[in-house]
Amino acid sequence: MIKLCKLCKELFAYREMIFSLVRKDLRGRYKGSVLGFLWTFINPLFQLIIYTIAFSFILPSAIDKYYLYLFVALIPWIFFSSSLQGGANSVMASQNLVTKIYFPREILPISYVTSCFVNMLLTFVIIFLVVLISGVGLNPLAILCLPVVMLIEYMIALGLALLFSAVTVFFRDMEHILSIVTMAWIYMTPVLYPIEMISDSDIQKLFYLNPMTSVIVAYRDILYYAEIPDFSTLLIALFFGVTSLILGELVFSGLKKRFAEVM
Amino acid sequence: MTNPENAIEVRNVRKKFRIFYDRSNDLKDRILFRNRNHYEDRWVLNGISFSVKKGEAIGLVGHNGCGKSTTLKLLTKILYPDQGSIEMQGRVSSLIELGAGFHPDMTGRENIYTNASIFGLTRKEIEKRIEEIIQFSELEEFIDNPVRTYSSGMYMRLAFSVAIHVDAKILLIDEILAVGDANFQKKCFDKLREIKSHGTTIVIVSHALGQIEQICETSYWIENGLIRESGIPKLVHDHYLQHMEDKRTEQLEKQHREEHGQEQEDQNPENSDSGKPELPSFCEKTAIRMGTQQVIFTDAQLQDQKHQKQYIFDTEQEIKIFLQYHAENAENLNLKGNFGYGIFREDGLHCYGTNIVIETGDYIPIQENGELEITFRNSLLPAKYFLDIAVHSHDGVIYDDIRRVLSFVVSSAKQDIGVCRLQTEFSWR
Repeated sequence: MIKLCKLCKELFAYREMIFSLVRKDLRGRYKGSVLGFLWTFINPLFQLIIYTIAFSFILPSAIDKYYLYLFVALIPWIFFSSSLQGGANSVMASQNLVTKIYFPREILPISYVTSCFVNMLLTFVIIFLVVLISGVGLNPLAILCLPVVMLIEYMIALGLALLFSAVTVFFRDMEHILSIVTMAWIYMTPVLYPIEMISDSDIQKLFYLNPMTSVIVAYRDILYYAEIPDFSTLLIALFFGVTSLILGELVFSGLKKRFAEVM
Repeated sequence: MTNPENAIEVRNVRKKFRIFYDRSNDLKDRILFRNRNHYEDRWVLNGISFSVKKGEAIGLVGHNGCGKSTTLKLLTKILYPDQGSIEMQGRVSSLIELGAGFHPDMTGRENIYTNASIFGLTRKEIEKRIEEIIQFSELEEFIDNPVRTYSSGMYMRLAFSVAIHVDAKILLIDEILAVGDANFQKKCFDKLREIKSHGTTIVIVSHALGQIEQICETSYWIENGLIRESGIPKLVHDHYLQHMEDKRTEQLEKQHREEHGQEQEDQNPENSDSGKPELPSFCEKTAIRMGTQQVIFTDAQLQDQKHQKQYIFDTEQEIKIFLQYHAENAENLNLKGNFGYGIFREDGLHCYGTNIVIETGDYIPIQENGELEITFRNSLLPAKYFLDIAVHSHDGVIYDDIRRVLSFVVSSAKQDIGVCRLQTEFSWR
């Protein structure tokens, strides 16, 4: 516990490093391109336009406004999966820093996940616009729940990123294993289809053991159905988020002292 | 901290590295060869203890791989000790990796923010220092250009400038003062002194012993993971240099012995080509022999004052050139001759030359089998040298002249530079 307090204090002292790494990541991504930072918006916008066309003409779906149905789940999912994959690689990717200079190592996964998170927030500007234009409308009460859902998702993503970024240093195959896991995980989560499609209620319960299920369902409730999400399932997700954070940090702090030796 | 005045306390620190013969991180090998021990533990530090008072500077010296950089990395908290403990007070900044986290596409100014934040500075703290950092780096006109457009010197100047403005209580430095041109190096060095005078504790790892002597109160000579000697830098360094020199000469002697042994094998009298005067076994392989051979050298040796054959001499040492010659029928012919020697440095510099006529004003009679001893006090500085010997007749005929007949090495622990040592005294009022 004392250790955790010390870590939090240190992370606070190093907050500018987190900000600057996030900034570097976000700005560095489109640096040199003519449109620059605008790409952060253009990318998802065109993604949405393509989905709209595809699912209206080529693959018409039974779900009303399927493009929106998909989009409000897909954006949070992309945040999660890129945090997991890129986050797991975040310590390895900063080898030159880790072997040469001291800073709290937790900063690497934290800033990576945070930059993915900020990227998602920026994309939400497009989501809000589309939600308004498409006539679904925003439920102010439901929107108030959105930060809670986002926070829970952030905790899950960060916990897993901490865990796997430390493990990847010692076991490099983790990176490739994780890319397969996330590939499968998207189908174990109702991102592309509604949860109701799983007719067997026992299997549906099994699906809810996956914390991302309740997170994605909550996003959809808020943005697509304009309803207040189901808090009982969100509690499971919250529990999972806290557990993964604690477990992730335990593993990370146990392994971090030897990072520089094996890199 | 046992002593509150200390900034750093290192107690009995041991560190080992696991050396893998075949590092394998994949699952297959892990499972298949789980029981295979294909690594060895190498102890790099075997129990190092020292403490540094606040505002003091220390230097760590030692040959490559002795553990000094590991010690510095332990202080930086990049590595952690396997045994023992390290305590430090205050913010630590390290000049180990300059320009950590620089992004080539970002401007110098943006990179100052990133780089400084890695040292744990907050935005406010950076803003307070940024003007000073830019000014120190002398990059005012370029500061808003992307760093990829910088020359490597500019890059290092910017990086050094950030690292030194962190206002750390403890500054760790690994071989840094090789930054930029001579002017900037001097500036860096002055800045270090200034920082130190403000109470910053400094630990330097360097092979530039002179720099350590200029700034540090104490120097630690680390060898094989242990502190071999500590104390006033100059004294420690003299011992260290002497030790290094001894090791080097040992190496040279070995090399010389090997070469010489080979030469003797090569000197098979049957195979030596005729035509040119043959090279006797006492000569270096690269020797060149000229002359009428009416008088011939039959042996040449370099000896110390005790008449022991030597190859390595100290700068202040007495050197004897011992020569033997043979001249057929010399007494009957009443031959007179002039013997001389010359010394050339390996790079061809003619260091010295003289002969009997110059020294004594007269020729000497040549015996049928004669010996000659030349003694001089060496004042040449460390390098490899070649000896030329010659004997001429009184009317200028070259009897025998062997260029590069012998080679020798001069060593010295003193760090003076040049060609030879001028006996120097300083006095001041």
